[in-house]
Parts: sequence; structure tokens; C-alpha cells
Amino acid sequence: MAEQSSVPSDLYKHVYSFLLENKFTKAAQHFIKQAKVPPQDEKETAGLLDIFNFWVKSPEAKKRKALPIGPENSDSPSAKKAKTAESSSEESSSDDEEAAVAAKAAPTAAKAPRPAKSDSSSSDDSSDEEEAVAKKPAAAKAPVKTPVVSAVRKKDSSSSSESSEDEAKAPAAKRKAPAATPKVGKAAAVTPKAAAQKKTASSSSSEDSSSEDEAPTKTPVKPHGLVKTPPAKAAESSSDDSSSDEEEASPSNKTKSGAYRAVPPSAAAKTPAAKDSSSSDSSDDEEEEKKKKVPTKAVPVKTTPAKTVTPKASAAAKKAESSSESTDSSSEEEEAAKKPAAKATPAKATPAKATPAKATPAKATPAKATPAKATPAKATPAKATPAKATPAKATPAKATPAKATPAEDSDSSSEDEEEAKKPVVIRVKSTAVKITVTPAKEDSSSDSSSEEEEGSKTVKVAPATAAVTVAEVKEQGAKTVTVAGAKATVKVVEDGSSSSSSEDDEEGTVKVAPAKATPTVTRGKAAESSSDSDSSSEDEEEAKKPAAKVTPAKVTPAKVTPAKKSDPSSSDSDSSSEDETPAKPAAAAPKAPAKAATENSSDSESSSEDDEPSAKKATPASVAKPASKPATPVTKAAAAESSSDSDSSSEDDEPPAKKATTSSVPKSASKPAILVTKAAESSSDSDSSSDEDEAIANKATSKPATPVVTKSASKPATPVVTKSAPAKAAAESSSDSDSSDSEDQAAAAKKTTTKPAAKRPAVKTPAKAAESSSSEESSSEEEEASKKAVKPAATPKTNAAARPKAKEDSSSSDDSSDEEAAPKPAAVKAETPASAKKAAESSSDSSDSSDSEVETETAKTTPAKPALTNGKPATPKATTSAVKATKPTKAAESSSSEESSSEEEASKKAVKPTATPKTTPAARPKTTPAATPKTTPAARPKTTPAATPKTTPAARPKTKEASSSSDDSSSSSEEEEAAVKAPAAVTTPIANGTVNGKRKRDGEASEDEEELTTPKNKKAATTTTPQTFPKVSKKINVPFRRIREEEIDVDNRLADNSFDAKRGSDGDWGQRANDVLRFTKGKSFRHEKTKKKRGSYCGGAISQSVNSIKFDSD
Amino acid sequence: MTPGFSPRGGDRGGRGGFRGRGSFGDRGGGRGGFGDRGGRGGFRGRGGGGGFRSPSGEGGFRGRGGGRGTPRGRGGRGGFGAGRKVTVEPHRHEGVFICRGKEDALVTKNMVIGESVYGEKRMNVEEGETKIEYRAWNPFRSKLAAAILGGVDQIHIKPGSKVMYLGAASGTTVSHVSDIVGPEGLVYAVEFSHRSGRDLLNVAKKRTNIIPIIEDARHPHKYRMLVGMVDVIFADVAQPDQTRIVALNAHNFLKNGGHFVISIKANCIDSTAAPEAVFAAEVKKMGSENMKPQEQLTLEPYERDHAIVVGIYRPAPKNKK
Repeated sequence: MAEQSSVPSDLYKHVYSFLLENKFTKAAQHFIKQAKVPPQDEKETAGLLDIFNFWVKSPEAKKRKALPIGPENSDSPSAKKAKTAESSSEESSSDDEEAAVAAKAAPTAAKAPRPAKSDSSSSDDSSDEEEAVAKKPAAAKAPVKTPVVSAVRKKDSSSSSESSEDEAKAPAAKRKAPAATPKVGKAAAVTPKAAAQKKTASSSSSEDSSSEDEAPTKTPVKPHGLVKTPPAKAAESSSDDSSSDEEEASPSNKTKSGAYRAVPPSAAAKTPAAKDSSSSDSSDDEEEEKKKKVPTKAVPVKTTPAKTVTPKASAAAKKAESSSESTDSSSEEEEAAKKPAAKATPAKATPAKATPAKATPAKATPAKATPAKATPAKATPAKATPAKATPAKATPAKATPAKATPAEDSDSSSEDEEEAKKPVVIRVKSTAVKITVTPAKEDSSSDSSSEEEEGSKTVKVAPATAAVTVAEVKEQGAKTVTVAGAKATVKVVEDGSSSSSSEDDEEGTVKVAPAKATPTVTRGKAAESSSDSDSSSEDEEEAKKPAAKVTPAKVTPAKVTPAKKSDPSSSDSDSSSEDETPAKPAAAAPKAPAKAATENSSDSESSSEDDEPSAKKATPASVAKPASKPATPVTKAAAAESSSDSDSSSEDDEPPAKKATTSSVPKSASKPAILVTKAAESSSDSDSSSDEDEAIANKATSKPATPVVTKSASKPATPVVTKSAPAKAAAESSSDSDSSDSEDQAAAAKKTTTKPAAKRPAVKTPAKAAESSSSEESSSEEEEASKKAVKPAATPKTNAAARPKAKEDSSSSDDSSDEEAAPKPAAVKAETPASAKKAAESSSDSSDSSDSEVETETAKTTPAKPALTNGKPATPKATTSAVKATKPTKAAESSSSEESSSEEEASKKAVKPTATPKTTPAARPKTTPAATPKTTPAARPKTTPAATPKTTPAARPKTKEASSSSDDSSSSSEEEEAAVKAPAAVTTPIANGTVNGKRKRDGEASEDEEELTTPKNKKAATTTTPQTFPKVSKKINVPFRRIREEEIDVDNRLADNSFDAKRGSDGDWGQRANDVLRFTKGKSFRHEKTKKKRGSYCGGAISQSVNSIKFDSD
Repeated sequence: MTPGFSPRGGDRGGRGGFRGRGSFGDRGGGRGGFGDRGGRGGFRGRGGGGGFRSPSGEGGFRGRGGGRGTPRGRGGRGGFGAGRKVTVEPHRHEGVFICRGKEDALVTKNMVIGESVYGEKRMNVEEGETKIEYRAWNPFRSKLAAAILGGVDQIHIKPGSKVMYLGAASGTTVSHVSDIVGPEGLVYAVEFSHRSGRDLLNVAKKRTNIIPIIEDARHPHKYRMLVGMVDVIFADVAQPDQTRIVALNAHNFLKNGGHFVISIKANCIDSTAAPEAVFAAEVKKMGSENMKPQEQLTLEPYERDHAIVVGIYRPAPKNKK
């Protein structure tokens, strides 16, 4: 693009862009007409050239689209990323709006726009990146744009612009671009569902970097691919893509191209254009697919809109939540009615990405967090996925590459976050970053966190923190604005992941869409719930239809291949959880009532599982991170309750490095918390995600990032596979998915393991997988437990007794639940078993943690609050558990017992003080505190106790872990307090889950039951210490007092300063005044006193007696 | 008007009669109801100011009567002159007097005859050939007066003593302290506020024993060149760190064995704590500054949540019991 023209073009663009946007849909002619103005013409020319190039590349690109593109191009020419970004944003928005307007008529069209937006964001990123890196890519982008234009002009344009910006940022941008591609892939995947091929293609594209073969294979059988698809198809795919993109950077483009290829088939229009364009193409493809699939997609789209609507309703909140960036995007989105959804998606996507990026292992957690965010996006449309992809890309890029790039991104993200509120600004500042940001602050935060986690704690951290703060603020604001909204947002995020998965599923399965819609409606407020429900529904549908699996599969591969896969895995896990819920008929019923809860729970569970696995894998690193997280959370928690979750995550992240970003995640979590039930779950997810992130970060830091990722990816993949294979009941699928995940993970992990291997990959992976699955199960169990929750106290006891067994039991119970839940359990078990009890334990741990959390929550609830929250979670869980596990009771019990046991064992923190006996001394302290907190209604109090215990524990590695867990719990408790009790509970559980997971690890280590895990746990435990400190600091918040009455002993004679207490008061000159003034106060006192001052007072006789009180002199 | 305070009623009656007549004569009886007022108005109406004033040196009373313009009933009752007969007797605190009448009042001997510092009432007493004017000291306006009325054992302020007054404000209480210490004594009035310091300066202009210091009492070194050793420090600074402020000044200017009188406003120290606790804390603080508190007294009902603490600074060994 000619830069010369670019500058003017920018200006013109802005002005014209709007015009164009208005005219946009109509035709390129409008542009030309507009171009009448010389400057414009020039610009247009420049743009046209680029456009032409693009068009050339993308043969079938529609001229009309080209026109829009032209403007875009003109923008891009502006070359100034900032400008471009703005212009792009504007354009995209305009495009979106136009598209929305035009497309809206048809649901599909509407969807397309949304996707376009999300895509656009992703595409923008890619394009930006490309442009920045090399204008050639821009050209490619242009083509892409064209395609997009055809399909989703807006998206493309936006994406192109964004991508260009991103590119400017460089690697990050590239990564983003990849992410975009992934998104495309997702879209493709979606298409594939409609047409498997497309999905595969997309998946392949994403996978390309990692393993295209797998993607192509699509086979449900393929663990990776399957896994990916299932989990968070969209999110995962995006994340996968992003990861792959990140890893491969340029390759990603190729992959993208691959995706395109895939896409093209599905949608010829999409074109093969440039690789970059591929991303856009993918988006286009997605859109096209959507359009094509309109019926099916329509449903999804609708759901998305619905979600979006919800978000919109919360609109501000979501935007805020989504992050300033998201806000930007959201604003754009808002502009285009559907935009919100898109925004949500982006935001979600970002988070998701962030997660992945951060730590593959951790990814699960991030993914969860992301998912929540992503969900909305996903929910929105497939587009969301793209958006997610973009974010994911950013994250991945960061994670994969050196943090340096990420750092930049994160910085930009942080900036974006900070600026968040100011979309334009954000964009301007860091186009690439902006893009990321755009998706969602969370993303940015997540990114930053990821970056931080990864190792580039450096500069990025600070920004991240800032961003986090901002995000928090935003979140708060959002919350303030509308709790529901906030929740929605949060949910959205979570949903985003889930939704993304769901979307994928939806894409895969048409049915899903309707289902989703319903859930959404039901849940109404909570986008998450909707998304969850959607995802669940989707999952269910998917379960029924292997096709859905395909998508996952794609995702999985991507994930697996790249380190980033973890994200997908997380998403996968989410999806799996969702799938599980859906899969189970019973679950379905529950879902209806509390689908959100269930799903959320499932999600959370999955996330927890992921976290656990990741944590396990990451073991030391992850543990350490978690610990750190808790600390942070505490502080954050203090700041914002809602944030507490996020805090925890952020804290975790921070500990390792500065986790401003994390905070964002937490925020999301916090949001969920607000939502409460749903939120809780979501929060838990987010928490888990954070944990995962941490874990990932740890892993990443440690090296293993890739392996971890793979593992995570593998995990999700596995589930997916299982699902695909069985395609049976959702429950089964869930369990299957887990098992499959575990298997996949095992496979993938083994492959990937390289890094993990160092850590004990083999065992861990499987274990993790198992754990993840188990965790999901456990989550279900937890839910049950939560239902039973009321019994928490009992649980603890049981735990105490059971603890020793508890782990095993929990594992067994998990297994059983898994088995029960899914027919495939065998496979899962087999795998799990392979991993050994560790997996079970891990699962149990996760479950325990979740359980413990639940218990705690329940306990808390019991006292006062949580009844609702618990009730919700419980119900869902119960339902789920019931459905899933034939042995609901057992599950509940087991879960409770497990939880208690796990808690006790693992962290010793054990929810139950009783448990303590078993637990080590260190554990006891923790437990006690935890118990206290639980008992105590206020989460904070709990936190404090927890913190204290934690600190103590810090000394011991295990203790540290425990402390971390406790921290988490505390954070969760804080969150709970902050957020509605229910959410809090959820969050807590999650946190606990994570913690528990860690604890379990610890416990395991201590117990020796699972030797493998133990080491990891121990390592993790070590890391924890830092976190403790922050928490402690938080605890103390005493108002300033000069005089501490309790420290002063007042002489009895001086104990009463009143007139009546004075000697000789009777008949004193002042008695009358006392009679008047004694009962007056404030204004009347002043009035009376003024009267006295005037001299009209008559007191009678004055005595000269001594009435003073003499101090004893020596 | 004769020995003692000239009964107001008498004056008034006379005036009233006088006025009454005048007014009536001129204006008619429209105002009959308002004896004093009407009369006065009438009097003025006549344009004769001199007559009114001339009658005697009851400027003070005039002020009161005129200023208030309240109904007759009040006029009869208000003021020290309520009673026909007023006697002034010394208070146990040297330099302080009690005006005994229908209503007792705390008074100090006015150092500047014929001048009211803040609109307070003055009472003139003629003893023999000497005219003595006393100024009413309103305990609702002065914490020192409130302490005296409340029954504090010692104020350590007596004629001839050198007093450092921290928180002099507009100089209302300072003027009474000035009255108490008399021409032989000195009052170092420290006030940081320029606005109230202006009034303080005006008071000091007419009272030679007042040395106004417009400085922050926290920085005694800024006015160390103006101040010599003092016998007593009276503090009414209402600052959270007032004990420290007093200690600083005590270290600089208070003689060993000198005394301090500190008014403590609990709300200024900590409005959230119980006043009693605040007082106890302050008292404890004094102990660490070589300030030995000797007595404490509540200022209720004149001041809310106030207490006054009197103590000794660096008591001589022998002083200690």
C-alpha cells in the first residue's frame, strides 16, 4: 500500500469510511463515487491497487467487497497502524454495521457480520501484522478482505485492518494473524461440521503448524483433532490456530492458507488468497459457511445474537469486561447490532488465547477463563471464534515466542486495557495490541498474564498489571453498571470458550444452535449460561453428531502441535465438560433448570481439570504460580471481590511475574462470581483457567510450555475424540472426552512430552488427562457434592476419615462417575489408569478442590449466603452427577469425601478441619483457616485465615501449595464475598479446585499415593510461597485510629465525663444549661449554646467548691 | 447611682418614666406596651442622645439594654443588674470575682475601663471614690471560665503571673486572663490564624500586658525571642497533637515547676473514640513529656466532650509528695 496515500486515506477513510460503510453494502461504486474527491481517489487508488492485488490473489473476491476493501486498503495504506486501526475499526464497524444491516435481514447475514467482526478483528490483526511486517501480506490481506467482503466484508476489512495493526506489532501480530487463521479454521471447522472437510481444513490449517495431518484427518479418532474440536471448538480451534500460528508465525499463515483451502472448498468465494487472507478467508469461510449453513448456523447465529444481546444488555458491562479493547470492538459491534457478540467473542477469544499462550498446561485454566469470555464471542457467532483466534494468537505468540513479542503485545494489551475504555486510543497505541485488546481486555490481560507467566515478566508485567487494574476497574464498572451484565460478560467470556466450543459444535451440528438459543434464553442474563447451555446443547448435539467432533479434532491437532494447544485443550475440556453435561440426558434436564450451572460447573470442572493436569504437569512451576496467584488474589480480592477470582488468577500469574493480565482474567472470573451460580462456575472456570495459565506459565517458563500445551491440547483432544468416537451421550462424551483427552493427551503428551517429559510428561499427561476428565467428573461430583454441599461439614469429616482413601476414592469415584457418565469410561479409565492413580488423584484433586470449594461454599452457604449459589451449583452438579454418574450419591459423597480428602490430603488445607488429622500439620493450619472461612460467611475473613495458614505453609513446599490453594480458596472466598455468594462459591470452588489440585498434588506427594504427581506438586508447592505474602498484606485493613480504646485504661473516676457525674453537679450554676443542652444535638445544640453565649443565661448561685478529679500524685 | 451596681431597674424606671413621658407627649400612646423601647424610641425620636447617656456611666448597661431591645420582661430580669443590689466578691481564684445578685456571674476586673472586648456586659461598682468596672466572663465562651465555674482546684493564673496562652483566638479569654494577671503580669498570646489574630491584636493594643504572637505554636523557636520564662501555659489549641505542642512550648518557656492548663477537646483527638479514653490517652501522653497532670475536670455542660487538665511541669523534687 502506498503510505503516501495512506495518511490522507486515513483521514478520508475515517470520513469516507463511515460513508462507505453506509454505502458499503451496496457496492464499490459508492466508494468510487466517494472517491470523487481527489484525495480519496488517490487513496482509493492505492487501496484499489492493493485491493487488486488481493483480488488477484483471491480470484473470486467480489468487486463489491473489493470496494469496501478498498477503503480498508486505503486505511491500511495509511499504514499508520494507529490510524489504520482506527480506520479499520471504523470501517470494520461500519462494515459490520452495514453487513449487519444487510445481513441482519437474514440471520445468516447477521451472523456473518458478527463473525466478520470477530474475524475482522482477527483478520485485522493478521492483516495488521502482515502489513507491519511486510506490506505484501497486507496485499494478501486485501485479498482476504475481499473474500471477507464477499462473505463478510466488514469482518475482512476489520480483520485486515486489525491484522495489519497487529502485524505492525510484529510477531505478536503475526501470531494474532495465525490466531485469526485459527479462527478461520474454526469457522472452517464450523463449516466442516456442516461439511467436515471445511473443518478439517480449518483444523488442519491450525494444526498445520502443529500437525496439519491431524487436522485434515479430522477423525474423531484423532485425539488431537477430536479433542480440540470438542472442547472449545471455536475457542480451541482459535486457540489452537493461534498457537499454531504463533509457533509457526509465518507457518501459521500457511496453515491459514491451508485453512483457506479448506475453507475455499466450503466457500469458493473465500478464496485462496494470501495466507493472511486465509485468516480472513477463514472468517469469510466461516461466514460463508454460516451463510450456507445458515439454517444450522442461523441457529447458532441466533444464539450468538441472543448472547450478544445479553451481553449487550449488559452491553456496557460486557464491553468493559471484554476489556477496553473489547469495548472498542464491542462498540463497533454495538454499532453493528451484532457487534456486541463479536466483541464478546473477541474478548473471549483473547482470554482464551491468553490462556493458551500463557501455558499450554495452564491453558486449560486460561482456556477456561478465556472460555468464559470466549463463550460470548462464540455464542455470538462462529465469528467469535475468529476473534478468539486472534486473541489466542496474540497470547500464543507471546507464550510460544519469547515473551518479548508477547510482552509488546501484552504491553499493548495492557495499554489497550488501560485505554480499554478508549477503543480508538487503544487501537492507535498498539494496533496489534489493540487488536488483541479489542477482543477483550481480558484477553489483553490474559495475554499479559500469559506473557508474564511465560517469563517475560518484564515490562509487560507492569502494563499487564495496569491493564489488569483497568480491567478490574472496568469489570467493577461493568459490575456496577449491571451485575447481571457483568456476569453476562463474565459468562460471555467463559461462554466464549465454551461457546466457542459450542459454536464449533454448533457448526458441526446444526442442532446445537437451537439448543444454544434456548439455553441462552433460559439463562437470559448470563451469557455464560446461555453459552454454556449452548455449548452443552451443542455438545449434546455434537455428541450425537460426530461431526462436531471433527471440529474439535481440528482444534486438537492445532493445539497438540503447538504448545498453545493447551488453550484448545482447556477449551476442549470446557467443551468436554459441556459435552458431558449435554451428553447426559439427565444432565440435559439439569441443564434446563440450571444448565448454566451444570455447564458452568462442567466447564469449571474441565477447567479445573485442565488446571490440575497442567498444574500436575507443570507441577512445580504451576504450583508455584498458583501460590503466587493466591497472594495476588488476596490483594485484588480486597480491591474487588469479583476480581477476587480474577485476582487469584492474576495473583497466580503475578507471583511468577506480574500478572496484571491475570487480573483481567480474574476479573472475568469475578464477573462470573457476580453472576453467581453461573458465574461461580464460570468463575471457577476462569480461576481454573488462571491456574492453568499459571501452570502453563510455569511450564512455559520451565520450558515445557509446548509440552504442556500439547498435553492440555491432548487432553481436550482426547475428550473430543472420545466424544466423536462414542458420539453417544453427552455424559459419556464428557467422560469419554476426558478419557479420550487423557488418551490423546497421553499420545499427544507423549509426543509433545518432550518438554513435559522432562517434567514427567508421560505420567503427568495421562494423569492430567485423567485428572482433567476426572476433574470434570469431579466437577460433576462437586456439583452433586454442592447439592449435598449442605453437608460440607460432614464432608470434611468424611474426608478426614476418607482422606486416606479419599484420594483413591475420589479417583475411583471419579472414574466411576466417568464410567457411569460415559460408556467410554473404560477407555478413559484405561488411559487414566495408565497414568495411574495419579490421574485419578489429580482428578480427585480437582474434584476435591472443586468439592472442597463447593463444600466450603456450601458450608458458607449453609450459614447464610450460598444457599442459592450452592444450590444452583449443587443442582447442576447433582443433575450432572446424577446423569453422568450412575452413582449420584456416591459421586456427591465421593466428591465431598474426595474433596475433603483431597483437600486434606492434597493441601491439608482440607476444607474440613477434621480432615486435618490426616493432613500434615501444615495442612491442618490451612484447613483450619479454610474451615474458618467456610464457616464464616464472609469470604474475606476466610481469606485471611487462609492467607495466614498459607503463609505458614509457605515454609513447606507442600504447605506452600496448600497455601496457594488456600490462597485460591481465600481468593475464591473473597470473590464469593465480593460476588454474589453463589458466584463466590463457584469461584471458590474453582480456586479451590485449582488449589485442591495443587493440594492434592501436595497431598499426594505427602501421601505418596501418587508418587509421580507428588514431585510436581511439591514443586508447585514451592513456588507458592510468594503469593502468601501478598495475601497477608491484604488481610490487614484497620482504620486509622489515634486512640485505641481497648489499649487505654480509664480511671474509674474519669470514666464518665458527663456533668451529672461530676461532683457538686446538683445545684451547680451550670445545671440548668446541662438540662437544656444535654438532650440537644447538632443544630439545636448549637442554637442553644449560642443563646447561652449571649449572656442571657441565668444559672443561679455560683459555688466555689472544688469539683475536679485529682490524679494520684506520688 | 450609688454604691454597688446601680440598679438597672432604677435607671430604667427613671428613663422609662422620662421617656414615657416624652414619647407619650410626642407620639401618643401607641407604644405604651413597650415601655423601654417605646420610651427609648421616643427619646431618640426627640433627637436627644445626650440625655440618655449622660445619666451615668452605665454605658455597659446601656449597651445591654439597647442592644437587645427585648421586651420589658426580660429587661427586668436580664443581666447582672437583675437584682437591685449587686455585690462583687472575690473568687477563690485570685483575680477572679463573682458578681452576686439575683443571678450570679463570674467577672473579672476590667483592666481597661469602659471597654468591652467582645460585647460582654460590664458592671460598675463604685467603692468609695473609686470606680471599678467588672466584665462578665461567660463560661460558654471561655473554657477557662468554664473550668473555674466547674470547680477546678487551681488555675495557677493569678495577678502578676506570666502566662503563655496557646490558641488565643480572638482574645476574648485572653482579655480576661489579662484582667486576672493585671498590670504586673504578662500574657503571651499565641495564635496562628491571622484572621482571629487581627482581633487579638486589637485587644492587645489596649491591654499592655498582652503580647500577641501570630505564629504556629508548633514552632516555638519562631517566637522564642519574644517570650521569656512563663509560670503557666494555658492551651486551648484543639489539635490532635496538642499535648505535643504544649510540651514543646513548655520545654522552651515554662519554668520548672510551672504549670499547664490544657483544655482537651476529645473530638479533635479522635472523634471515634470515647471522650474518656481520649482524655486518658492525653493524660498519659503528658506524663511522658515531663508534664505531670494533677487534676482533670469535665467542662460539661459548658462544652461538650471537653475536659481540662491541670498539671505541673518538671515538678521540683520537694514538690513531689
